[in-house]
Amino acid sequence: MEVSKKIEQIKNSLHNSIDVASRIITKNGVVIGFIYLKSITDVLTFSQTLYEPISEFKGNIDFDIITDLVRGNDVKVCKDNEETKNILNGGVLIILSNSDKILSVDNLKYNSRTPSEPPTSPVILGPREGFTEDYKTNMTLLRRHFHSEDLVFQDVIVGKSTKTQIVVCYLDGIADKKIVKQVISKLKAIDIDGIVDSYYIVSLLSNRPNSFLKQIGQSEKPDVISAKMLEGRVAIIVDNSPIVLTVPFVFLEDLQNSNDYYTNYTYSTLLRIIRLIAIFMAVLGQGIYIALQLFHYNILPIKYLITIADSTQQIPFTPFIEILFISLLFQILYEVSLRLPSYLGLATSVVGALILGDTGVKAGLLSPPTVIVVAIAKIAIYVIPEQSSQITLLQYIFIIIGASLGILGIIGAAIYFLSYANTIENFGAPYLAPFSPFIFSDNKDGILKVPIDSMTYPPKSFKSIKRKRIDEGN
Amino acid sequence: MKVIDRSITAWQTGIILFIILFANKILILPSLLYDGAKIESFFIPIILFCFDFALLFLFYKIKNKFPNQSFEDIINQYCARWVRILVYLAFAIFFFGKTILLYNVTYIFSKNMIYKDSGNFIILFAILPVINHLAICGLRVLGRTAQLFFPVIVGITLFSIIVGIMGFNSVPLFFQVNASQFFLTFFKHISPFGDTIILFLFMDKIKIDKGQWKVVFSLFGLACFLVVTIIIVFLISYTYTSFMHPFALFELMSYVKEYEGLGRIDLISMVIIIIFTYFHLTIYLKAFMASFHGIFNKLDWIYSILTFNLLFLVIVNFFVMNLEIAIFVGENILPFITIFPFIILPFIIAIIFYKHKRRRIS
Repeated sequence: MEVSKKIEQIKNSLHNSIDVASRIITKNGVVIGFIYLKSITDVLTFSQTLYEPISEFKGNIDFDIITDLVRGNDVKVCKDNEETKNILNGGVLIILSNSDKILSVDNLKYNSRTPSEPPTSPVILGPREGFTEDYKTNMTLLRRHFHSEDLVFQDVIVGKSTKTQIVVCYLDGIADKKIVKQVISKLKAIDIDGIVDSYYIVSLLSNRPNSFLKQIGQSEKPDVISAKMLEGRVAIIVDNSPIVLTVPFVFLEDLQNSNDYYTNYTYSTLLRIIRLIAIFMAVLGQGIYIALQLFHYNILPIKYLITIADSTQQIPFTPFIEILFISLLFQILYEVSLRLPSYLGLATSVVGALILGDTGVKAGLLSPPTVIVVAIAKIAIYVIPEQSSQITLLQYIFIIIGASLGILGIIGAAIYFLSYANTIENFGAPYLAPFSPFIFSDNKDGILKVPIDSMTYPPKSFKSIKRKRIDEGN
Repeated sequence: MKVIDRSITAWQTGIILFIILFANKILILPSLLYDGAKIESFFIPIILFCFDFALLFLFYKIKNKFPNQSFEDIINQYCARWVRILVYLAFAIFFFGKTILLYNVTYIFSKNMIYKDSGNFIILFAILPVINHLAICGLRVLGRTAQLFFPVIVGITLFSIIVGIMGFNSVPLFFQVNASQFFLTFFKHISPFGDTIILFLFMDKIKIDKGQWKVVFSLFGLACFLVVTIIIVFLISYTYTSFMHPFALFELMSYVKEYEGLGRIDLISMVIIIIFTYFHLTIYLKAFMASFHGIFNKLDWIYSILTFNLLFLVIVNFFVMNLEIAIFVGENILPFITIFPFIILPFIIAIIFYKHKRRRIS
């Protein structure tokens, strides 16, 4: 094989990108060519494990000797037309003038951060490590939880331009094979130019992609994903994303928190009840408040009525405008604080809380009860940060309904959205299970949480292989 | 338009039955009963629930004989085509009439207790989209949503009863009416009963395993017990002034409006009445849709929904929008419609059983 010609051919196929590097040396009349991408290749390892052993070798060089000489991890013979693919995956190609075969040695290296506690799900007690953007690190993190041959990783490459590595993980003998097949076939059917983050495939995996409700589980924590896999769920790791997806997903999963499993079960139950109340306050609080003010002031107890009337009589705006204004103001401050550097974040808080809030009340533009109601509703969203986008959307819908249709409309809308959620089934799991349909055994880890030794069987809300998780005698 | 009515479980069937047994009985009925038959009037719902129980038993029998068939198929198999059309027409009239009665009473309750200044439009606009959506989503979604609200419904109803019992202040006098007064009141207020026939309309969608029938019967029994208890507690709480209080479940709570540190607990019963209204109207709409489909089985579902909405809007807006008319219709017209569930339907089922038996022998 003519080495320089082959290298030129590979360079052309990579559009002569500036990070394509090549070296050509001649040993005892044999031309040896190396070609790789310097942006994703460990250059030091390349010189120590490939270049030096070959260049310092004194004898005759042929393909078998080269194979013995290299000290790389993953050494393989390139299949036809796979040269470019191997280079793009961090391989160094070795081409010999006296052989038709091309050797590929894995030498991938790029900067990735070390596993650290995810900012969205800190724990008081329990594991603190989180997934990173490197899918291999994420696989390692999962493998550390399962020293078992049952843990299976299967890969799918998605994205015409990005060729993103997606890894489907499940526990053989626990996860339902039909769900695994369904996930893989859905992933293979994705025809998209690129996958930048795992969220790109969320809507592509959902049964109802246009729905505003979250239908795929997400977590940044290996312990959470491991626990979900033990229940029979399938995890999906996407390269370049620290968020690992899980299917099937039910709403209850977001009500549960990893802290619940690392603390006393009675306390966990209390926390879950509080979370449920918080969701109720977050979604309906503002709508009910505005409905009471506009339509049903007569049903308010007289003491509250006097307090509210006293504080709202000087306000120039209608209750609807007032509550919408404060909600929007909060949303703007929230967006700003997310994007500003932390040292400016403090200034935003001062402007938001003191200048806009306090001064607004003192100036008689905002009423204190409204500020309190909006503040409670907005804070309550973040008891379940995973559902914050849905809850925020529902808040605005309920504000409008409360202002236009009153309490009848609010209850109607609540029934509407709950029935809508009941129409959703992803990978055979009803969205509101185990509450509707009511599954008694799954409610042991629902609103109430029983001790771990009482959770004998895996959830029945979705299909998994039937087995005992723990012996009752334990 | 697709309306996919997927099967429902014994629990969901029981809960739908439980909810519909409260329809038209927890607001104005106890007051009207007292007006006609004084304190003895609580016997009327007990007797009429026995009739409903007979209908449930009939359903149990026919479901066991024809486990996977729809009622429409069974009638087609054993009766002439015109019989099927007449039966389903009767179903449609029966449920539509009850819808109008229910909406009127709820409208009057809402106008008096919830919306002091607002008109019919706001109530219609709040109710119609929701019940249409629930009906279109199918029986399984309705069953599951009802299942979600079931603990709330039972909890608040029990709470209302307990609060009502706290309001007892005197022992009422019995035997104030004669038999003719009692039976006249019985006939006048027969129309809120007979809702159990709804099960016949969804016969093929109801999947009940052998051991699961007890769930349906238990929930039926619980609903009857709660409704009768509400009526008794209301009658004893208000005794001689019962006829002045038209919203029984709400009045039970408002008797002890400001309870200790809890504040106005009557708001809780208001919420439950609204929840009941949504489910009752949806179940009636589903029943109407199924009946309509039984008459015009080649037409798309959309026509049944459109017909219901159109008829509902016209009748509700132009004909019956006050309590006097609602009571008049409820006492003088609707009782005759109740002949269908209590006499005609059992008669037709008896004929079906007879023909089925003869066919098996031959």
